Amino acid sequence: MRTTLGVLVAGLGLFCLAVPVVAHHGFDTEYDAKKKVSLTGVVTKVEWLNPHMRVYIDVKGADGKVTNWNLEMTGPNHVRRQGWKPKDLVAGEEVSFEAYAGKVDETRGSLARIAKVAEPDKPLFGQGGPGADTIPSK
Amino acid sequence: MRKLLVISITMMGLTLTLLVQSQAQAQDRVRSIPVGGSPLVPERLVNGPVPRLPDGKPDLTGPWVGGGSNADIERDGGLKPGELPLLPSAKALRDSRKEQDEPYVACLPMSVPRSNPYPWKFAMSYTSKGLTHIYLLHELGDAGAHRVVYMDGRKHPDDLFPTWWGHSIGRWEGDTLVIDTVGYNDKFWFDSRGTPHTEKLHTIERWTRPNYGTLVNAFTLDDPGAFSRPVQLKFTAKLLRPDFDDLMEDICTENNQAGIAGGYKLNSESK
Repeated sequence: MRTTLGVLVAGLGLFCLAVPVVAHHGFDTEYDAKKKVSLTGVVTKVEWLNPHMRVYIDVKGADGKVTNWNLEMTGPNHVRRQGWKPKDLVAGEEVSFEAYAGKVDETRGSLARIAKVAEPDKPLFGQGGPGADTIPSK
Repeated sequence: MRKLLVISITMMGLTLTLLVQSQAQAQDRVRSIPVGGSPLVPERLVNGPVPRLPDGKPDLTGPWVGGGSNADIERDGGLKPGELPLLPSAKALRDSRKEQDEPYVACLPMSVPRSNPYPWKFAMSYTSKGLTHIYLLHELGDAGAHRVVYMDGRKHPDDLFPTWWGHSIGRWEGDTLVIDTVGYNDKFWFDSRGTPHTEKLHTIERWTRPNYGTLVNAFTLDDPGAFSRPVQLKFTAKLLRPDFDDLMEDICTENNQAGIAGGYKLNSESK
């Protein structure tokens, strides 16, 4: 009986996950949903600008070469309404992030997750890409 | 017991199928930089009483989120796929359009009835002569962000030249705000799918606030240049959570890098 209930609960959980996400504009024309990267680097700039925020991150490759990633987020007003402020992430901080690479310019990505290396379990600002349509509150 | 197990496994199968389909659709049809940061009024407050203005009319001010088309006017307006009575020429034009060419992505106005997921409001402008104008303000309405609705009883001029927002005249029918608009240009799209219209477009919006947290837009779209008959759509807006900021500054063109990652130029071949 307990097993049956477990299966039922698992089914319900999957059902909740399966609810389609309704989104806004401009992902699949620019970004590759099948090309997700997971990297660590140092923030060089955070732009609280319209129409979408951007975070720039220097990432050092295995060969020592540094590449500056330009990562797009949602609008700054959406992020502000969730309680986030400019001081929450500033240049010089070390972060780990996940992003979907640009279709043509790969290092222009759509930011899916970002967290300070010192606090890996506390994602900042927002999440993007397939399956995400919300911004976590601070 | 066995019956329950069978039901459970069947349910898992169905939901797994739905999940796989959903993910497959996400792979194929992801169309957005996700949003969702406009907090809505809590459910427990939605059914509260409608606030009234000093003249007894319902206060439609907002700010609201939604209440119009966005990704697909047909679906957003409550129709089933294929029910929008597009003329063959308009359907061909829609099918030929690419999302990245939409003027809205290049920060041009959304126009009517589009409503992106940013807040907007009816700014009801009372003067010594009463309610003479209503301004529709969109947080991200893009260039030319305000729309004027004349409430002073004037008629549409007979010498209009086409504009992004057209010429809007409004009136009250009981608690319903009726807005009649003509004089649109044909440049904006109804949605990111590319649903077109012509300069013959005539819209009638019938706005009602059935409760504290909800605004309904019963929308009549009449455009003999692109549709075989007038069509009735319905959109619903929700109130922005009252303890959050009102409309914020949002200058769309200040850092619009849309398109670069995908290797295309904004609005380069818009039709």
